[in-house]
Amino acid sequence: MQLHAMSRSKRAAVVAAVIALLIVGIMMISLNTGSFRLSPYAVARTLVGLGNADERLVLFEYRMPRMLVAMLAGLGLGVAGAILQGLSRNSLADPGVIGLNAGAAFGLIAFMSFFPSLEGLPSLFIPLFTFGGGLLAAGIVVLLAYERNKGVLPMQLLLIGIAVSAGFSALTLFFSLRLDEDTYAFAARWLAGTIWGRDWIHVAALVPWIAVLVPFTITRSKSLDAFAFGDEIAIGIGTSLHRNRLVLLGVAVALSCASVSMAGGIGFIGLIAPQLARRLVGPMHRHLLPVSGLVGMAVLAAADTIGRSLFQPIAIPAGVVVASISAPYFLYVLKKTKSI
Amino acid sequence: MKKTTLVIMSLILLLVLAACGQTGEKTNNGSNTTAASSETDAQADQSAADTAADASGEAAAPRIASISIHVTSHLLALGITPVGSVVGGGLQDFLPQTKEQLQSTKKLGTLAEPDMEAILALKPDVIYVDKGNSQDYIDDLMKIAPVEAFDLDEGTWRDTLRAIAKLVNKEQEAEQYISDYKAQEERVKALIDAEIGENSKVMAIRVTEKELRVFGMKRPMGPLLFEDLQLTPAAGVDQINKAYEAISQEVLPDYDADAIFVVVNSEEKAQQLFDQLEENPIWQGLKAVKNKHVYVVADQPWLDYSSLGAKMALDEAEAMFGK
Repeated sequence: MQLHAMSRSKRAAVVAAVIALLIVGIMMISLNTGSFRLSPYAVARTLVGLGNADERLVLFEYRMPRMLVAMLAGLGLGVAGAILQGLSRNSLADPGVIGLNAGAAFGLIAFMSFFPSLEGLPSLFIPLFTFGGGLLAAGIVVLLAYERNKGVLPMQLLLIGIAVSAGFSALTLFFSLRLDEDTYAFAARWLAGTIWGRDWIHVAALVPWIAVLVPFTITRSKSLDAFAFGDEIAIGIGTSLHRNRLVLLGVAVALSCASVSMAGGIGFIGLIAPQLARRLVGPMHRHLLPVSGLVGMAVLAAADTIGRSLFQPIAIPAGVVVASISAPYFLYVLKKTKSI
Repeated sequence: MKKTTLVIMSLILLLVLAACGQTGEKTNNGSNTTAASSETDAQADQSAADTAADASGEAAAPRIASISIHVTSHLLALGITPVGSVVGGGLQDFLPQTKEQLQSTKKLGTLAEPDMEAILALKPDVIYVDKGNSQDYIDDLMKIAPVEAFDLDEGTWRDTLRAIAKLVNKEQEAEQYISDYKAQEERVKALIDAEIGENSKVMAIRVTEKELRVFGMKRPMGPLLFEDLQLTPAAGVDQINKAYEAISQEVLPDYDADAIFVVVNSEEKAQQLFDQLEENPIWQGLKAVKNKHVYVVADQPWLDYSSLGAKMALDEAEAMFGK
């Protein structure tokens, strides 16, 4: 019961510190996982710059960029999910629900179906197309959910999101049936959520989004808290509702598009991370947003590590691991609370 | 409090799972160690052989990592076992016809996604890649060992075999292989002509889960049937200037083929699909079906367009038509 005696801020700080420690642990395990044998000692030695050429190659070129992409994408998706759940006052919202994953998948398949000649440089074009696809889907959803006097309506946002998502999935399926086997195999792995970005260029492409948008979101915590009271009260306490909602929606879309385009079609994180975070630190977004990001980071990094090591040498996509861990937990929460 | 406990429990579970993964890896490492030690044995044997070779003035055999299942087949045809090879993307394993000889060969992921760490751990002397399919990672491979790229789309398997043979000093063996194949080609051609009649028009199709495909003039089936065996392509097949084209069942009669080769994957599912096709009235009305000139072949070795695959396909054809 002492936990309750602590002030919320203090508690949030403790929780954040614990998760951060957990993340460090996951990172250590992750860096030790792979088919090239590196002892923990060798990893540590290499990290401080004393490894040989092979060890450096494995650690810095193969393992580290992939791990960082997973962590950054987890962070981005966790925060984006928290924003969307706050905006829509619905704890079942996540980036996938408003069509982002389906749009990104469509972008990927469109790229593979119509621009095979560009395939020489997939490391640049795939993120571009998936990002564009996600943006397109989100744009359609927002446009349809927008009403002139009321701004973006949260309930409509979710329903239209589901519809648009289904439409894009249908298109994706249609085009993917026309792909040849090898291309399709790649697309299928991407869709299942294999951490796709494995080079430093992907880390570098993802960092600015996270570094700018996550702190920005945290400065807007108060607006998100205000939304929780409902539109009228939010306006009453002086929130410029429509503008703030659009800006935050834009941030959520950008964060999740950037994350998905670098890491692959990973769902569930944006749903589960804010849920867990809310249980840990309560509904205040000042605490919820960073903790949700940290949880997302931990979950995706752990999922990728588990996926890579469980059935070596065959890797299970991180998205599948996330889903198989999240789904039972989520069902449990649903059953427990019923009125979620 | 209860909720907090639950959350903490689930986080712990996550970590435990991650740790489980770790133990999984460790057991794997155990087997790796044995593999590695047998490898060192192999190396020791090899170095002994090398010294012998050096004594007789020949160059040492390089330790080759092959990032193409077809290049692996070529190497086997020349009597060289690569120390590591990628596996087939769909099979997640070596091709059945090469599995026996590759027992001590390390699996290096797939063509689309080679396992860089495994390649690095193998420390090969040289890496052989398929030029057309390796742009994504060829630069990374070059950091590990020198890379030799072969363009499998250029010329026939003979050109690839010769290119590889040149690098491993087996040019004589390659020429012998090619001339043996030439002789077999003529034998098989005569058998097929006897069975279906000279200048009969031939097509090859494949039943997959998604679609029905007609093989075109490009590898794997085209060169085998229409160049090596000099069969006449059925009407329209000569227009398909790629590996295959997806068609609907209704247009099958348009090809007006006298004989049809049907590639059916070994999986049960593919068998079922072929059974369905066989019951289809369109299929039953085909000239080739009526004359019983339908020849079912397996995907492997027929679709392994390499010296080894082509030769084994001819072996099968020789047995099939020789009856």
